[in-house]
Amino acid sequence: MTDASLPTDGAKPQSGSLTTLDARTKKRNAAEKRFRAYGVAAIATGITFLFVLLFAILTSGLGAFQQTFLTVPVYLDEAKLDKKGNRNIDDIKKVSTFGYNPLIQKAVLAEVQKAGIETPLTKSKEMKALISASAAGQVRAAVIENPALIGQTVEFKFLASSRVDGYLKDRVKREHLARDKNIDAEHLDIVDGLLEAGVVAKTFNPAFIFGADASESRAEQAGIGVSMLGSLFMMFVVLFLALPLGVAASIYLEEFAPKNRLTDLIEVNISNLAAVPSIVFGILGLAVFIQFMHLPQSAPLVGGLVLTLMTLPTIIISTRASLKSVPPSIRDAALGVGASKMQSVFHHVLPLAAPGILTGTIIGLAQALGETAPLLLIGMVGYIASNAPDGIASGLLDPNSAMPAQIYEWAKRADPAYYERAWGGIIILLIFLISMNTLAVILRRRFERRW
Amino acid sequence: MYDQAELGAAVDQNATKISARNVQVYYGDTHAIKDVNVEIDAKAVTAFIGPSGCGKSTFLRCINRMNDTIDVCRVKGDILIDGEDIYDKRVDPVQLRAKVGMVFQKPNPFPKSIYDNIAYGPRIHGLAKNKADLDEIVEKSLRRGAIWDEVKDRLHAPGTGLSGGQQQRLCIARAVATEPEVLLMDEPCSALDPIATAQVEELIDELRHQYSVVIVTHSMQQAARVSQKTAFFHLGNLVEFGDTSQIFTNPKDERTESYITGRIG
Repeated sequence: MTDASLPTDGAKPQSGSLTTLDARTKKRNAAEKRFRAYGVAAIATGITFLFVLLFAILTSGLGAFQQTFLTVPVYLDEAKLDKKGNRNIDDIKKVSTFGYNPLIQKAVLAEVQKAGIETPLTKSKEMKALISASAAGQVRAAVIENPALIGQTVEFKFLASSRVDGYLKDRVKREHLARDKNIDAEHLDIVDGLLEAGVVAKTFNPAFIFGADASESRAEQAGIGVSMLGSLFMMFVVLFLALPLGVAASIYLEEFAPKNRLTDLIEVNISNLAAVPSIVFGILGLAVFIQFMHLPQSAPLVGGLVLTLMTLPTIIISTRASLKSVPPSIRDAALGVGASKMQSVFHHVLPLAAPGILTGTIIGLAQALGETAPLLLIGMVGYIASNAPDGIASGLLDPNSAMPAQIYEWAKRADPAYYERAWGGIIILLIFLISMNTLAVILRRRFERRW
Repeated sequence: MYDQAELGAAVDQNATKISARNVQVYYGDTHAIKDVNVEIDAKAVTAFIGPSGCGKSTFLRCINRMNDTIDVCRVKGDILIDGEDIYDKRVDPVQLRAKVGMVFQKPNPFPKSIYDNIAYGPRIHGLAKNKADLDEIVEKSLRRGAIWDEVKDRLHAPGTGLSGGQQQRLCIARAVATEPEVLLMDEPCSALDPIATAQVEELIDELRHQYSVVIVTHSMQQAARVSQKTAFFHLGNLVEFGDTSQIFTNPKDERTESYITGRIG
């Protein structure tokens, strides 16, 4: 090629100097620079959005973990709570929460007067707007548990009403009071006074993390704990059904099944199932598990079954991918020393594929954990008045909600206090998802590092 | 069956370990092995040589039915080991593979400890009654694989941490641990450097005293060095089979001569 054009003069370059860039090279370099800039811009945008999201979640949601409480000594009047005076538990139970409300309101008014707050509100009934509706139930439960308390003055820590809580969290503002039917400026003056006197305080509220949902009018009482248990039971169902089913199906398809039209069809359909909208699985669950099999509505068992259907394709696809990634030489080696097909799979291929399978399973579980749409159709979204289940059977079969469903439900409710709780719920859900994904990464690293 | 019995009687039973009769192998529509007949001696090294794609590895894999794992592969004809047809319906390939060990082109130790690599075969075949038995088998196999001295102090280190040559000798030790009678080697030195190759070749020469060794190789020098008999394959045909010295010095077929002198291949 170069024979004909050998340089006669060694010092003179044939085609321009290497130290000056020609036009083509300049153009190429510019294109590369532009492309890199696009990449950096894309990543920067992504990171910005991530930070905006995190900032929004944290600023809106952290408030949910704190709650305003009133610490008030309540005189448990025998004349009101136990008219016969014989401490008969059945008679005491006949006094409903309406019987307790006046006592609590009186106690709060006493605190207001003790603190020397000047206020036109002098009737004990007018204290109602300060305290959560849950206060009477709280006192009643304490009395029923220990009737000896009657006749004494006992100190209780009551939840403040959601407006008072909102006032302390800057959600309820004085300039908007004209439109608020639940609280007025006089009440807020009292709150200011009680705050100074130390009767009202904002503290950490474990009931938000561990408690049950509350009705629409008691935002201050609502917690995500019970729906967390609902999610937990669903995840158990998903794990115990989807993992063995998915792994067995993938091993069969990958290692044993003959390659023919039928298995090709199955393969294509598994990939398709992974892309089916999750609400379709919800309808399927409604039709099959509830209408046909008559399993209870709103039950985590049904939720788990539906999410199993949804997670199976994910697990099968990731398991097959990790089985495929085991080098065939390992299979040959095992077969070569006289292992049967099954021995070669279970002794050698599966352990090597395990990290991938685990990762896929955990990612699938995390997906299922955050899924709301299919739960809509089997009745797990809505106000489900339930307490913490007292056993595995009730955990699986009693009506319950799930974390994302609970968040959706809260976001839907009218009281702005619920809006804050929805953000708080999202923080908890995200903590779960991040820990699961971290676990997946750790497991994968650990198993891979071994050899 | 009658024919085979008669043919079997015609050859020297003591000397012949494996005999192939009219073996045809098809990969889908491709006719990969065409009508191969060969008698492989017991306690000797037989080398299969030939250009790439000539079917020598395919034929080797027929001897322990490794081709069964390939869906599209069909084998016709008979392969007899000690007079028994290994493609008989009653033969379980798992049992066959314990009797016919195999060493692969690329060293493929299990990602387990050296000890477990060797002990795996004996364990699944129930060759050891207790731990002491197993220890003994492991040591004996590693000695036969000529690698005992190098690994005796780190039996529980991963087998994948050894050098390439050591890994290949480990694989040979693993293959002999199940007490096979035939050892198939598919280009066992192609991934090794010359020093490791020399060690493995020396080992093959040792193994000949206990096993019938069949080795596929691309290196004609290697075939000449280690084997007693040589078979030359070309385009799926067994062109020539005979004593190694005769094949390399005085080939009868023109194609064999072309190949060993480097004109084809």
